[in-house]
Amino acid sequence: MQHVADMTIFRGQALRPAVEVRGLSHVYAGRDGAVPALADIDLTVPAGKFVVIVGPSGCGKTSLLMMLAGLRAPTSGSILCDGRPIPSPDPSRVGVVFQEASLYPWLTAIDNVEFPLALKHAPRDERRSRAEAMLKLVGLEGFGGRYPHELSGGMKQRVSIARGLVQDPPVLLMDEPFAALDEQTRMTMGQELLRIWSQTSKTVVFITHSLTEAVYLADEVVVMSARPGRILDRVTVDLPRPRTYQMMATDVFGQLRERIWQQIRSAP
Amino acid sequence: MRGSILILTRIALLAAVLLAWQVLPASGIVNPVLLPPLSEVLRALGDILQRASVHQAIAVTSAEVIVAFLIAVPLGGALGVLSAENEYFGAIFRPMLFYVFSIPKSIFLPLFILAFGIGFPQKVAYATFSTVFIVIMSASAAVESVKAEHLLVAQSYGATRAQILRRVYVPSMMPILLETLRISMIFNFTGVMIAEMYASRAGIGRLIADWGENFEMPQLFAGVILLAVAAIAFNEAVRALEARCSTWRT
Repeated sequence: MQHVADMTIFRGQALRPAVEVRGLSHVYAGRDGAVPALADIDLTVPAGKFVVIVGPSGCGKTSLLMMLAGLRAPTSGSILCDGRPIPSPDPSRVGVVFQEASLYPWLTAIDNVEFPLALKHAPRDERRSRAEAMLKLVGLEGFGGRYPHELSGGMKQRVSIARGLVQDPPVLLMDEPFAALDEQTRMTMGQELLRIWSQTSKTVVFITHSLTEAVYLADEVVVMSARPGRILDRVTVDLPRPRTYQMMATDVFGQLRERIWQQIRSAP
Repeated sequence: MRGSILILTRIALLAAVLLAWQVLPASGIVNPVLLPPLSEVLRALGDILQRASVHQAIAVTSAEVIVAFLIAVPLGGALGVLSAENEYFGAIFRPMLFYVFSIPKSIFLPLFILAFGIGFPQKVAYATFSTVFIVIMSASAAVESVKAEHLLVAQSYGATRAQILRRVYVPSMMPILLETLRISMIFNFTGVMIAEMYASRAGIGRLIADWGENFEMPQLFAGVILLAVAAIAFNEAVRALEARCSTWRT
């Protein structure tokens, strides 16, 4: 009996949502007074899931992500990350990967990956070995000494992902990380991200404009409306894993994509 | 290979100019009274470098240049950062700074003489005045060159204000700051020279003006060489530092 009780506790922890957003609304002060940016957002992301948020430009996706990262406070509502509120950035719980050009050009790839650890005054050896392990994970072993301007767009985003993971946070937030890449690189990076995700069993919240990318990557696609951003629909993607490029040509893929597109298009 | 040819060409060109400087006046094609041959200028340079009066002039001018530089750069830097970071301050002062920057500073020289006399303080004040505006502009440009996403990354990894300053602001601004140092020294040196040549009792500028008035052309050119070497040396030293930073400059 004791054994069973232990199991229950264990499973209870495993099922605790990685991200829990309750009744979140946000209003910011614009040029012409208060602008409602987000309204009534309820979102639960179970641990280990890959959730993609899509929506029109200016729907507050990025604002929501900033709040999940503790970079901004919502006007009302609550956010729990890994079971606790996140009033300020906490890289041990949440790693963030931004859009293009967020690497520091004056640091080498490995120094960029080490940057979050350096802020925490981690010992030099530990920093280095941790960063090297991360570069290896993202497929950039041996490129640590290069400066960002010596790397391709895809490689730079690999470094960004390594930096986001270096403190081993349970949650990884990604704000259109592949938006600036060409189509081929973007596909490859999507595939690579899924590999990294399956190897690290992180919870990923990923923002994108690309519906194909959304369906391809996600366990669940959250569709948001134009400003003020609301959640219109939550589309479960039950395509098997590992995902393959061939799945994009299937009817199921097309139907999911179409359903999301209709939601976005018909939104007021 | 192309690089070494370039360097050889430069050396050849310099040698040609120096040779012409020697030959043309010596052969009488150019009036040697106006342009003494190089050998004579170099002899004069060796001679003036022995003189105690010249040593003293160098000391005075160096002190003026250094003190003015040490005032103008931090002062301009602070005002520039303030005008870039503080919206209110920037909105008020930036247009004025642009207006004043466009005015030739030398027209204010008589005012500086009336206010400070013709000694050390006046040289420092005038050189500071002629330098500070370019420093303000460059420093505010340096702050504006810091990318918002770089700040956001640091914040998202929990950087403190001090860490953001040291690890994001300083390295972001470094290329422009070094260039500012270089350019501000050009303005600063020019300011001191103009002030000395216009009215003073001491300094290299004074000596050069005297040599010119007395038609002592070899000494005059020797003085020019001396100042040119000093200015180029400083400029190249900072440029070497800049080159080290420019590997990552985008």
